[in-house]
Amino acid sequence: MSATDPKPSRRISLDVYAVALALTLALLVRLNLIPPIKW
Amino acid sequence: MATQAIAARPSQSLARRALGLIPGLLLLAAVGFAGKFIEQSIAAYTKAHHTTFPNIEYVLWAIVIGLVIANTVGVPRLFEAGVATYEFWLKAGIVLLGSRFLLGDVLHLGGISLALVAIALTLSLTFMHLLGRAFKLKPKLTSLLAVGSSICGVSAIIAAKPSIEADDEDASYAIAAILALGAISLFTFPLIGHSLHLSDKAYGLWSGLAVDNTAEATAAGALYSDAAGKVAVLAKTSRNALIGFIVLGYAIYWSSRGQAQAVGNKAAFLWQKFPKFILGFLLISLLATVGFFTKPQLTSLANLSRWAFLLTFAGVGLRTNLRELGKQGWKPFAVGAIGEVFVAILTLGLVYGADLYLHL
Repeated sequence: MSATDPKPSRRISLDVYAVALALTLALLVRLNLIPPIKW
Repeated sequence: MATQAIAARPSQSLARRALGLIPGLLLLAAVGFAGKFIEQSIAAYTKAHHTTFPNIEYVLWAIVIGLVIANTVGVPRLFEAGVATYEFWLKAGIVLLGSRFLLGDVLHLGGISLALVAIALTLSLTFMHLLGRAFKLKPKLTSLLAVGSSICGVSAIIAAKPSIEADDEDASYAIAAILALGAISLFTFPLIGHSLHLSDKAYGLWSGLAVDNTAEATAAGALYSDAAGKVAVLAKTSRNALIGFIVLGYAIYWSSRGQAQAVGNKAAFLWQKFPKFILGFLLISLLATVGFFTKPQLTSLANLSRWAFLLTFAGVGLRTNLRELGKQGWKPFAVGAIGEVFVAILTLGLVYGADLYLHL
């Protein structure tokens, strides 16, 4: 069996989108650009 | 699974795919909100009428409503893509939950979790392989079941499948068994935790170490208490962090036997398998620790995390099809079930030990 590196994937993983969304929301909250979130 | 659903048709335009998610997202929101509404209505009724009724968290209502829909009328195809995004909301929710942890707590509890995970993993992987041999399961199916029940359920199986070149049938058996067992854990763990009078921290640590899927572990923790849910996520995240190492170990094992391709760049392999949302969680926790957010802002972030989990819990119920789970053979389920009981007892013992000697 030949040695192979992990397949180069152009698809961005779901994790990266989730982190991007969470960090964006955190920044919007920090800059008071969205109203306080209630539960 | 959500990844597959979102990236299923690369030829479709981004806008069209985004539109396709809307019906399922609305269904997730409706089911989750219905759960929250029922919890609040019962609480308001019992308060107004001075009666007592056990407080059933919105988590359970959302899962039960989802389960009823999925197993009676079923989830129409139109809703499937949106419902599959529950895993995306889970990961976004975990990152935002980082705001509720000081980095010191993460390192303390995360460190304990990692040490316990390492012990539990070694013993449970060995046990699962002995069990698979006793039940005469195919070795690669046993590997997938061992990875699924020891680390992080479906994600671990999906990560391991191409690396050990397991076939689709083995993967679907293992996923079905792990999902069925996850659903069972969801309802049994809180009952056991209450009967043993476990503290929030001890229970959260136990469910994070023993329940397979991250969504189910989060839900099992939240069903016990808010504090237990927080600890369960942290423990489960520590477990998830080891996924790359275990999958790499299996890839090397199967390639040494000539039944999978050899791994070239091991560092790149580990990075590819590493769950990136853990880095986001640590970053938000670091920012919260250094005072980047004010107190009201931290409350907002915690509430955003709760809303994201609300969608996740609705998705857990909606994607659990009991009829599908019954179609698989009994052997993978039996091996998974015995393995789960072993992992649950083992991790419970470890948690008791940690509580006694390390003072959780």
